[in-house]
Amino acid sequence: MSADRGVPILEARGISKRFGGVVAVNDVNLAVNKGQIVGLIGPNGSGKSTMVNLVSGELNADKGQFLFEGADITGLPTYRRARAGMARSFQLLRLFTSLTVEDNLLLASHMRMKTSIVGSILGRESGLAEEQAARRKARELLAWFDLEAFADKPASDLSIGQQRMVELARGMMSEPTLFVLDEPAAGLSPPNVDKLILLIRRLRDEFGMSILLVEHVMRVVRDLCDHVVVLDSGVKIAEGKPDAVVKDPLVVEAYIGSGWKRRAQG
Amino acid sequence: MRNISLSLAGILLLALLPFGVGGYEVNVAMVILFYVILAVGLDLVSGYCGQFSFATGAFYGLGAYTAAIMNRDLGTSVFVNLPAGALVAGLFGLLLGIPALRLKGHFLAIVTIAFQTIVYLIISQWTSFTGGQVGLTMANVGPVTVFGVTLFEIASLRAYYWLTLVMTVICVFAAWRLANSRLGREWIAIRDDETLAAAVGLDTTRGKLTAFVASAALAGIAGVLTAHSLRGVTPDDFTIWISATVVAMMVIGGRGTFIGPIIGAIFLVLMPEFLGRFAEYKMLIYGILLVVAITVMPEGVVGRLRQRSAR
Amino acid sequence: MDLFLQYIANGVVIGSTYVLVAVGLTLIFGILGVVNFAHGEFYMLGGYAGIMAVTVLGLPVLPAIGFVLATSAIVGVAAEAILHKPMKNRDATSSIISSFGLAVALQNAALIAFGPQPQRLQTSFSTIPVEIGPIFLPLQRLMIPIMMVVLISVLYVVLRYTWTGRSLRAMAQHQTVARLCGVQVERVAVVTFMVGAALAGVAGMLMSSVFLVYPIVGNMIALKAFTVVILGGMGNVAGAAVAGLVLGIVESLTSAYISNSMRDVVGFIVVILVLLFRPQGLFGKAVDRS
Repeated sequence: MSADRGVPILEARGISKRFGGVVAVNDVNLAVNKGQIVGLIGPNGSGKSTMVNLVSGELNADKGQFLFEGADITGLPTYRRARAGMARSFQLLRLFTSLTVEDNLLLASHMRMKTSIVGSILGRESGLAEEQAARRKARELLAWFDLEAFADKPASDLSIGQQRMVELARGMMSEPTLFVLDEPAAGLSPPNVDKLILLIRRLRDEFGMSILLVEHVMRVVRDLCDHVVVLDSGVKIAEGKPDAVVKDPLVVEAYIGSGWKRRAQG
Repeated sequence: MRNISLSLAGILLLALLPFGVGGYEVNVAMVILFYVILAVGLDLVSGYCGQFSFATGAFYGLGAYTAAIMNRDLGTSVFVNLPAGALVAGLFGLLLGIPALRLKGHFLAIVTIAFQTIVYLIISQWTSFTGGQVGLTMANVGPVTVFGVTLFEIASLRAYYWLTLVMTVICVFAAWRLANSRLGREWIAIRDDETLAAAVGLDTTRGKLTAFVASAALAGIAGVLTAHSLRGVTPDDFTIWISATVVAMMVIGGRGTFIGPIIGAIFLVLMPEFLGRFAEYKMLIYGILLVVAITVMPEGVVGRLRQRSAR
Repeated sequence: MDLFLQYIANGVVIGSTYVLVAVGLTLIFGILGVVNFAHGEFYMLGGYAGIMAVTVLGLPVLPAIGFVLATSAIVGVAAEAILHKPMKNRDATSSIISSFGLAVALQNAALIAFGPQPQRLQTSFSTIPVEIGPIFLPLQRLMIPIMMVVLISVLYVVLRYTWTGRSLRAMAQHQTVARLCGVQVERVAVVTFMVGAALAGVAGMLMSSVFLVYPIVGNMIALKAFTVVILGGMGNVAGAAVAGLVLGIVESLTSAYISNSMRDVVGFIVVILVLLFRPQGLFGKAVDRS
């Protein structure tokens, strides 16, 4: 699948966010082009997570503007952004624990279906073509992620690695145009990290997915990202190709410097 | 399949009940049916959607007073009052649902208690409209007419019991459909993780409001049925203790399970019947049961049984 | 103008009651994270304990207050054992439902024990009039703000300067860290409930000459106290003290100049509005989640 590179799907313009007296994100610009994997990296406390929550709408920016596929989405609530085509995963795994794996996926397709009290009581929906199509789609995706055996299991019964895969499948279920991955390698064993890298690359290559990837594990960033943005103390300090960025003296200073500071304080 | 045949057997048994027992027992059975509707309704909003409500008694009262006042001023029959009561209670459910959009846990619990108290204060103080502390009395259900044509008469206790049974079956069935629908799945999603629910594109505002409305409307229907069965209403039938009783039924039976609150309702209504001279301690025992249940078995009887069988 | 001052004084009396009940409620929430829906019942039991002390035991007023403080503290110990001890590591839902159940049980226990008739506490202080300029109050009513100031001052000193107080404040900050620093969490929990119940109990006793005592008297008081706690900011003792007096005065003026039936409604309208628009309370700081 050919990606129209150069056309931005997500643009952040001059985004700032403060918590009390602390400026968590300061005037950050960032763009993800169609079919691109953009990495967002930085030391602990650099504002990556805040930035992700600002993109997905769980937090509202104090200043700046978000454009998604050209439309202004600043101030839209989370669910509206999701409906516009933005899916996300969470740093700390999040699944609906009392529902089955299949139901977890189905919920991600609800946004395209109607629900009403009367319709639900009359039971019109269970036989509806869209519900059946959604179930078929969920099964296909679960097969793609090698999870079809767990479709009817409660999500809480799965291992951490499997739950990560369910999160990815859930994201894909909503047919997003942008997938925001918040530290997907966190808590995974090295072989599972390899598997994850392959999967994310396939998401891009097979589905033409645009991805904003927040990551700690440098190997993942180097292997996957077309473009990397580095934050430090809420400020963008560098961006560019992964190999060039990691050699940038400012970036080296940010990582090693903060390491030194932390050691000196601790 | 087994569940369906069991339910049908239960309904049939209940339908035949008036042939086997006296008027007192039929009245007790009717009270059980009212509480089944209330408990199942509360479970939708609290058990499935995870939103606190100590205001069931208020919605119950709003339904009952709608019936009594419409009956007094417009002379309407139970069949007109049923949808009217559901509508009025449902609208107030929407009203209470609005604060619930922003509030969680203890804040929401406080607001629902305040709502319950406000409704009680209004129905007990607005004497010219609600009859105040004395309440209102209603005429017999009598003949049911449509455009002046008498369809049938509900004169006997037996007939009214059957009407209540039919309405209860409809309400429980409707609640069951809701709980197992897409909407029900969204409610559980909101209960499990609201942030995630929004992140996958669910309109959590709408989800919570529908749960509040559905729950309140069911309580309203129970209120209409109760008002016609008692042939009147008084404010003291709709206090916060009623809310407490229904919460106890739901918690003891099992929050978020469908059958649990039904079992809880049957158990708590029948219990005083077996307490003999200790029946006046009913509310004391309910309170203690609620404390004990939430302490040793927070998942309820049905929840505990399910955990056992899952292992 | 003279009447206005009298209304303010009446408001201060009622408001002092709210302060006494609300401070305990906010302490229990701030330190232990328990939302105690049975707090109004501490007030109710304090009222009955006061009546027993005076009419059955024949105690004079001040020893009777001591008796109420002691019995209420015991009630607090029992409540902690029910509402807090078994609920550790559970979500807030459990203690909300449990305390609601406890409230229902205590109200009905009181109904069985004392009957539904409202009872009034008559003490030797009831008939002593006190005039301060244009304001007239029986000494028993005047005792309420006096006791409030005394007890809250003692509480403040204890919280500020004693080891127990530091433990309490440490717990309010962070339970795990407090435990690591050697705070005996279990003891702190019991002390918190004892203090909360004692304050509410004294309020119940002193107010029983004004509001009467009956089994469900605590319902309204608890709702008012929640209003105050929310206005002051959940867990904020000083906020609760200010908000309690404000609510008392606002209610008194509403009753005097608007209508008596609006009195109770005012508080509820305020609480719902505050919850909707400023859930951190009027004096609380906005906490942004990160």
